[in-house]
Amino acid sequence: MSLFRTKKRSIKKPQLLTPSKLGEEKGSTPTSSSLIETEKAVKEILGVNGDLQIKHFKVFGQFSAASVYLSSLVNQDVINQDILKPLMYEPEHLMGREKTLNNLINLIITETLYHSQAKTDANIDELIGGLLLGETVIIIDGVKEAIHIDTRKVEKRAIAQPETEQVILGPREGFIENISTNISLLRYRLPTPDFQVKTLKIGRLTKSTVAICYLKGIANETVIKEVEKRLSEIDIDAILDVGYLEQFIEDNPFSPFPQTQSTERPDKTVANLIEGRVAILVDGSPFSLVVPVVFNQFYQTTEDYSSRFLMGSFVRLARMLALVFSLIFPSLYVSLISFNPELLPTEFAVAVAGGRAGVPYPAVIEVLIIEVSMEILREATVRLPKQVGGALSIVGVLVIGQAAVEAGLASPITVVVIALTTIGSFATPTYTAAFALRMLRFPIMILSGIFGLYGIMVGVIFIFNHMLSLKSFGVPYMAPVSPENYQGMKDVIIRSPLWWMPKRPGFLQPSNQNRLSKNANKILEHNKVGNDQREDTTNGGSKGDHNTSSNDNLN
Amino acid sequence: MGDPKEITTLQATTILISTIIGVGVLPLPLFAVRAGETSAPFVTLTGILLAAIGLMILTYLGMRHPKKTIITYSQDIIGKWLGKLFSIFVIFFFVILTSLAAREFGAVVVTAVLRETPLEVTVIVMLLLASISCRNNINVFSYIHNFYVPMILAPVLIVVAFSLKNANSLYLRPIFSGNDIRDMAAGMLTISALFQGSFIITMIIPSMKSPKKALKASFWGILVSGGLYLLIVIATVAIFGPEEIKQIFWPTLELARTTAIPGNILQRLDIIFLAVWVLAVFTTLFSSYYFSIHSIKELLGLKDHKMLSYFILPFVFFLAMLPQNILHMYEIIQYIGRAGLLITIMYPAFLLIIDFLRSWRKKKNVAKSS
Repeated sequence: MSLFRTKKRSIKKPQLLTPSKLGEEKGSTPTSSSLIETEKAVKEILGVNGDLQIKHFKVFGQFSAASVYLSSLVNQDVINQDILKPLMYEPEHLMGREKTLNNLINLIITETLYHSQAKTDANIDELIGGLLLGETVIIIDGVKEAIHIDTRKVEKRAIAQPETEQVILGPREGFIENISTNISLLRYRLPTPDFQVKTLKIGRLTKSTVAICYLKGIANETVIKEVEKRLSEIDIDAILDVGYLEQFIEDNPFSPFPQTQSTERPDKTVANLIEGRVAILVDGSPFSLVVPVVFNQFYQTTEDYSSRFLMGSFVRLARMLALVFSLIFPSLYVSLISFNPELLPTEFAVAVAGGRAGVPYPAVIEVLIIEVSMEILREATVRLPKQVGGALSIVGVLVIGQAAVEAGLASPITVVVIALTTIGSFATPTYTAAFALRMLRFPIMILSGIFGLYGIMVGVIFIFNHMLSLKSFGVPYMAPVSPENYQGMKDVIIRSPLWWMPKRPGFLQPSNQNRLSKNANKILEHNKVGNDQREDTTNGGSKGDHNTSSNDNLN
Repeated sequence: MGDPKEITTLQATTILISTIIGVGVLPLPLFAVRAGETSAPFVTLTGILLAAIGLMILTYLGMRHPKKTIITYSQDIIGKWLGKLFSIFVIFFFVILTSLAAREFGAVVVTAVLRETPLEVTVIVMLLLASISCRNNINVFSYIHNFYVPMILAPVLIVVAFSLKNANSLYLRPIFSGNDIRDMAAGMLTISALFQGSFIITMIIPSMKSPKKALKASFWGILVSGGLYLLIVIATVAIFGPEEIKQIFWPTLELARTTAIPGNILQRLDIIFLAVWVLAVFTTLFSSYYFSIHSIKELLGLKDHKMLSYFILPFVFFLAMLPQNILHMYEIIQYIGRAGLLITIMYPAFLLIIDFLRSWRKKKNVAKSS
């Protein structure tokens, strides 16, 4: 009976903030004006906790009061210096002024406390909530309202290099777990009022702060609204990482392809914001989630843009090749060996056949076995402590590979093929995208074992069709290739010079498309040495001050 | 019909190109040579012109009714029941076309690549691929075509370019050989039947961003695909000569087989060519399959076509299995193709004339009453 009743109640109140019974009973009872009663109420709820500190003192030597806080969450120095000291040691300018219970609160907040974040509240629920967030609460006997002062101090690690997205050229900062630090890293790069951060709390237990960041006037309004809508519909007990949100807001959860991009890099996040995307940050997660995404983003890095365009383009081409490798290379090998050896040059075909002479299995089985063991090795290396990892990779790659070939389990070329594939999948900068291709490799391998090249084509067509039908927040996944977008296309296969791309990618439908000013694309002209034709140009580029040969009028 | 009208002119063009280029690429030179010996290119050209006229009629008709497909506007033009009756013919024809394309594909794969795999398996795999992809809306349909077009054009162009070093221009002369004029006409019809996929334009126009540019799209569509077909015929005839081609079933495949990439990276190109050709077949199948279920949806006034996609699969498969062997199949293909021209060219022309007459009469009535 009681079970039934509780069930019914939870249905009635779907927006229950906390499932804790303690909080629920007290609900939103107002704080009592009696110090003892309020103290009792707090102790009733939080009394078992060893870090609950209640200290009694007298405000200005007359009014009995108590400060309540959780010692694990607060900055003790602030409490001592900025709160207790001015309250207990009556400041000079208040000497001799009349102090009554009625004006006391006002007096304390406006004239006594040296703290910028202080507010009053008269609710037990808020009081407890504040305590749990690291506030110090001052309760004064005879006054209904309590003073909440933000004294939160939580240990955080220092800003470090992002582990998963390292670059050779470019900034070295990475996000950390603390959301205010992360937002500050973004604000530091975007000192513009257009950069807006909307926050909301998600998670009934964790009450995680979620921040939606975007550039007003650049990001598409409908996307922002859609993000807010999808986020506000989430009702879950805990959001421990941005990945939790990702799974709730993505368009097609059953697709192997990621439809949001998570990045550890503030500079990458800012670059995405500037292109008109929306970033989502969660307190406690060192990743930001960028939406909407298109597929080509997953093989781009910030480095492509900070290095010269030839370098960037070359690296990008290599990366795309690696992407293709990691998807179909083993299956290509299987189908060439078992279906169409006539495609290979004769000498090579003979060598392959010689290598495979002692292997008892068909090529598919052989490749599958090696591929599966490679996956196991890879997963093991991630989990192992750093010191052991090196040893394992040597054992795994050298010893097992060599032994497998000698034992007749695999042919040497298979090992080469699998090694290339694995390395190829590491070249994809985004872990999630690389993972998608890693998973899809297996069905294609099996198809190629059954149908040869025809099987590969069918598999690839199937994957492409799926990718073409995906959408991320209204943006087609394969844009700007299909549907075609001329501006965006310049940034797909090669990374065009920055002055070739004067517009923001149109497939994101940004409200403001102009990236470069019109005159600024004359960069090539004022790079000419000793250029006289520059004299009367008033373009947006540099005036040529860096070029001494023409300034000093030596000729 | 809730999808936004997003198909651009370029997308419409690419849909046409990739729909037209399909299974027909392989036997095309054979058809042309059988009809016209050394004047095969000329026969091809006339076939293309005929197909172009048909496509222009269709496009013009579609532009006069920019919000409807042929299934719905035919009911406006020639009356509800007559329109429905003809639409059933159109749908049935496209179901047959789909199944024949799948069968022809299966025949090529079984003969050239997978000799031990049963024909049924290759056909059903291809049909499954098409039917699963058909569960998307028409915008995704256009994205898919748009994406594959470069990959369809490139291998053909590469093969033609690399093979031309063996070409002998003597094989192409005389351009007008005094062949039997009836043979040539039949060949022309067969070749223009290869362009029947262009019927898809009637389905595209209502979803285009600017239906007024449909004419431009069909012009470019037929120019690129027709140009490619002509190129293939010229290259094959110039390399093998008409007499040899008559002995080969799929001269284009043979063309790929004789081609070698410099550097000896791969010994043979034909398998790679076939692999990429799977793409071309897929897009053609996809188009005719999509057209069939989309038209059934329109005919029955349904909201969604997704369910139909698996529903017609058994019928298509059954039809695909009807021809007894390759020879029988090509006989049927030529016959159905020529008969189909009645549906793809004569029927739209008939509709257009009646539509003209109706609007002319309407204008006259308006003039009279005022």
